[in-house]
Amino acid sequence: MTESAREDRRPVLVRLGRLAIGAWVVFTALFGVYWIEQVLRGDEFARQAENNRERSVPVTAPRGLILDRNGTAMAENEPSFALLLYRRETLDLDGSLQFIAGLLGHSRDDFLKKVERDRTNYDFVPVVLEENLTLAEVGAIQARALEHPEFVVQISKRRIYKNGTVAAHALGQLGEVTSSQLVKLSGRVRPGEAVGQKGVEAAYQDLLAGSSGARTFIIDSYGRETAELERVEPVPGNTLTLTIDLELQQIAEAYFANRVGAAIALDPRTGEILAFVSAPSVDPNLFTRRVSRKEWSEILENPNHPLNDRVLQNLYSPGSAWKPFVAYAILKRGIQPGERVFCSGAATFYGRSFRCHGVHGSVDLPTALQVSCDVYFYTMGKRLGIDELAEAGHAFGFGRLTGIDLSHEKAGIVPSNEWSLSVRKHPWYPGETISAAIGQGPVLVSPLQMARAFAALANTDGALPTPHLFHIGENFRSGERFIYRPPVRESVPFAPGVRETIVEGLWRVVNVPGGTAYASRVAGLDICGKTGSVQVIGQKDTKKAHLLPNELKDHGWFAGFAPRNNPKIVVVVFVEHGEHGSSAAAPLAARLCAAWLQKNRPAVPEAPGIARAGAGPETPPVGAGNGG
Amino acid sequence: MSRLAVVLPRRIDLIFLLALVVLTAVGVAMVYSTTSGTFRADLSSRQLLFAGLGLAAAAVLVSIDYRILLQYSPWLYGASLMVLVYLALFGSRIAGAKSWIRLWGGFQIQPSEFVKLSAALLLAWVLENDDRTYASGKTIAAIAGAVGAPVVLILLQPDLGGALTYFPMALTALFFGGLRARWWILLIVVGAVLGGGSWFLLKEYQKDRIRTFLDPNLAAQGAGYQVRQARIAIGSGGIAGKGWMKGSQSRLGFLPVRHTDFIFAALAEEWGFLGVSGVLALYGLVLARGFAIARDARDRGGAMLTLILSINITVEALVNVAMNVGVLPTTGITLPFVSYGGSSLIACWGMAGLCLSVAYRRFVNV
Repeated sequence: MTESAREDRRPVLVRLGRLAIGAWVVFTALFGVYWIEQVLRGDEFARQAENNRERSVPVTAPRGLILDRNGTAMAENEPSFALLLYRRETLDLDGSLQFIAGLLGHSRDDFLKKVERDRTNYDFVPVVLEENLTLAEVGAIQARALEHPEFVVQISKRRIYKNGTVAAHALGQLGEVTSSQLVKLSGRVRPGEAVGQKGVEAAYQDLLAGSSGARTFIIDSYGRETAELERVEPVPGNTLTLTIDLELQQIAEAYFANRVGAAIALDPRTGEILAFVSAPSVDPNLFTRRVSRKEWSEILENPNHPLNDRVLQNLYSPGSAWKPFVAYAILKRGIQPGERVFCSGAATFYGRSFRCHGVHGSVDLPTALQVSCDVYFYTMGKRLGIDELAEAGHAFGFGRLTGIDLSHEKAGIVPSNEWSLSVRKHPWYPGETISAAIGQGPVLVSPLQMARAFAALANTDGALPTPHLFHIGENFRSGERFIYRPPVRESVPFAPGVRETIVEGLWRVVNVPGGTAYASRVAGLDICGKTGSVQVIGQKDTKKAHLLPNELKDHGWFAGFAPRNNPKIVVVVFVEHGEHGSSAAAPLAARLCAAWLQKNRPAVPEAPGIARAGAGPETPPVGAGNGG
Repeated sequence: MSRLAVVLPRRIDLIFLLALVVLTAVGVAMVYSTTSGTFRADLSSRQLLFAGLGLAAAAVLVSIDYRILLQYSPWLYGASLMVLVYLALFGSRIAGAKSWIRLWGGFQIQPSEFVKLSAALLLAWVLENDDRTYASGKTIAAIAGAVGAPVVLILLQPDLGGALTYFPMALTALFFGGLRARWWILLIVVGAVLGGGSWFLLKEYQKDRIRTFLDPNLAAQGAGYQVRQARIAIGSGGIAGKGWMKGSQSRLGFLPVRHTDFIFAALAEEWGFLGVSGVLALYGLVLARGFAIARDARDRGGAMLTLILSINITVEALVNVAMNVGVLPTTGITLPFVSYGGSSLIACWGMAGLCLSVAYRRFVNV
C-alpha cells in the first residue's frame, strides 16, 4: 500500500463517468415510465381506481340432498341470510362493530372474537359475523347500507331436516368446521363453514359438500355492486339416497316417542339398513344455527343422554337374545338337538344355585329356545366351556366392528379365557360360564351387532352382511351414480341342519303357544325371533318387578326376522327399562316386519295396532334388486 | 466545541445527509398514511423510532475512522457471517423464513440487512489492496467469495429477495475493481444459464411472480392482482396525486404490502408524478453525492466503500421503483430509507454513516 497506489485513480474515474451515464439512462427511463403511467394514462387509471373496487364473495355450494330409499327428502336446504364484514372497507373497526352490535342487539365482544379469529386471513376476505339473520334484521342492515358499506348480507342455503328428530342419529348433524378438520379438509372448506359432524353427514362429507364457487364484483365507493367481473359457479353436492325406508323409520320413531332404546331393521341379504332409531335424540336442525348455552346444557344434562347413539355406540348385555348363538355352539359340538335337560326352575352349578324364570320340565333345544329355558343353557354352557361359546359369538360377528359406514362404532365384548387373561389379568372362572351361557356376565353387544348376527341366521347360506346406510350417490349435474360396494362377504359356516334347528326354535318363540313372544305373532308372517330381558339389578323377586322404580327395571330385547322362508327383514328392538323383551320390544318388531313385508307382498294381513292405507302407488322397494 | 461548529458543516456532506433525511421523513409520512386506521397503526411511530436509532448509528460510524473499520473488516465480516450461520442452524421460522432474531418488546432484527455493511467493508478492503487497472484473479475470487457466502446463507433461510440485494454490491466491486470485457461477457452468459437453470429450483409462488410479471392480466385475482392494483394506484395518482392520506387504492386495501414493498405505489397515488419525480431526484442526488465523495476520498478504500454503498442504495431504490410499476418482477426488495422496517432503515443509515465518514476524512492533512 504505497501512496502512489492510492493515487492512481484514472481507471476508477473513467469507470465512474461511464456509470454516471448509465445511471442517467436508467433514471430517465424510469421517469419516462412514470410519466406514461401517471400523466399520459393517468385518467384511464383514475377511472379504474374509482370504479375498480373489486369484491369477491364466496358462494358455498348447496349441500347434497339426503333422501330415503324411496326418494323422499330427509335433509334439504332452504335460504338463509348471513352477515359479512369486509374489513378493508372498514376505517373504524370498533365503531362498525359497535353499530352492528347495537342494531342486532348482540354483544360487541362476540363479534370482535370472530374478527380476531380471521385476523390472519387477507383483509379482502369477509368475516362471517352472524348467520341465519331474520328478515327484519336483513331489512335493518340494508336500510343502513349506504353508511356502512362494510356490512353485506349474503344469501345462502341452510340445511333443514324436514322430519326433525326422525333418524337423527343416522343423519347426524352439521357444525362449524373445527381447526383440526380445517387441516384435514385443507382447501376444501373455509373457516366458519359448516361440515358434517356426525352420522351420514360426517361420513359422506366429501360426497355431500360439493365445491364452492366465488363471485367477484366491482363495487362503487358507496358499496353498490356495479358489475360482476368473474363468476365461478359452485358445484352442488351429490344427492345421497339412503337405505332407510322413511315409513318404517317413522313407525319405529313413533313407538319410541316415550321410550328409551334402539331399533334397527335391515335387509339380511344386503345389509341395507331400513330403520335406524336411537331414542331419545336431538333435533339436528338445532345445530344449523347457533345453539344457546341453555339448550346445550339441557342436552348434556338429560339423564337419557340423547347424544348417545344407542344403535352402535352403547353396549348392552344380550340376555336371552344370546341363546341362539349358544345353540349354534351346542350343535357345532355335535350335541343332538333332541337331547333333553330337565328344568325344575333352578339348578346348582359349582355349589351355587342358578334360577330359571319358570319350571319347564324336560326340554330339548328347540323348546329351550321357545320357552327361553335358562337351565337348559346353563347345563349346555357348562358342558361346552367359555371358549366354545366365545367361538360361536365371534362367528356371528360379536366382539368386533360390523363395518357400518358410520364412525365411532363400538366392538363390544365376547368373553373367553384369552380375553380374561389379557383384559382382567386373571383366568376365567368356570362358574362365570353359567351366566355367560344366558347372555349375562361380561358379554356386551351393540344392537347393530345383534341385527347383523340375526341376519346370518336369516340367510340360508349364513351370510353375515355389512350393515350400511349408503344406498346410491348421484351427481347433481351429470346424473352419474355411485352405488354401495359391499366389502368382502363373511358368512357363518353352518353344518347341515344346524341353521334349520335354530330357526325352528326361533319360529316357535313367536308362533307356538308357550313361546315367549307368542303374544306378538302375526298370522301368516312367520316371524322368527328371540326375546331377552337383561337384569339391571342382580337379585330380585321377579314377581314384584312392576313395583320397581323405572331406572331399576330390566332392559328388554327382541331380535328376529321374517318370514321364516326366504327372510326379507331383520329387526332388533331394544328398550331400556322395558322389563320384558316379549312385552316391550316384540310388538314393534312385529309391526316393522308386517309393514315391510306388506310393501313387498301386498297380500299380507295387517299387523295388530297398525292402521296403514294400502301401499298403492309407492315406488317399489329397491332392496331386492341390489343384492351383492 | 466552537471549532467543531465551524468544521462540521464543512466536512459533513450536507446535501447527501439532507437528501437522506428527507427520504426518511417521506417514509415515515407514507407509513403513517398506509397504516393509520388499521390495526397496524403503531407502525409509523415505530418507524420514527427506527429513524432515530439509524441516525445515532450513522453518528457513531462517522465518528469512527473508516480506515480502522477497513482494517478490521475481515473480522467484522466473519463475525456477522456467524450470525447467519446461527440463523440457518437454530433460527426460528417467522413468516416461513429463518430470517429474524426475536428481541424484547415485540421487536425483531433481520441480520442479513446488517451483514451488507460488513460485506461492503470487506469488498472495499479487498479492492484497496489491489490497485491494478484490472483486478487479479485472486481479487475476483475474493469478491465472489465475500458476496457468495452470505448469499448462500440467506438463500437457506430462504429469502430470495434478501439474497438478490447482494448482487449490485458484487457487480459494483467487480466493475470498479476492473474486469476485462471478455470476463463481463462470460459473467453474463453464466448468469443467464444459472438464471435459467434456477427456474427449476424456484418455489411455485416465486414462479408465479415471474409469470405474473410477464403477463399481469393473465390472473386478474391471483398473483397478478398485486401488480395490477399497484399499477392502478400509480396511474390514478396523475400529476399532482390524490393528496396525503387520500389514496383510495392504498387506503381501501387494494395495494398489497403497501407499507413495505409497495410503499412507492402508495406514494405515487397520493403524491402523483410530482412526488415520484421528487423522490427519484433525491435518489439521484444521493448517487451523485456518493460519486463526489468517492472522487474526493483520501484513499482507494474509502472511494470503493462509498461507491459500493451509494450504488447499492440507488440500485435497490431503482429496482423497487421499477417493480412497483411492473417493469421488474416482484422480488421483495424494499425501498431504502422509505419502506417500513427497522433493520433495513437502521442498516441504510449505517451505510450513510460510512459514506459520511469517508467524506469527513477526505482531507489528508487533518
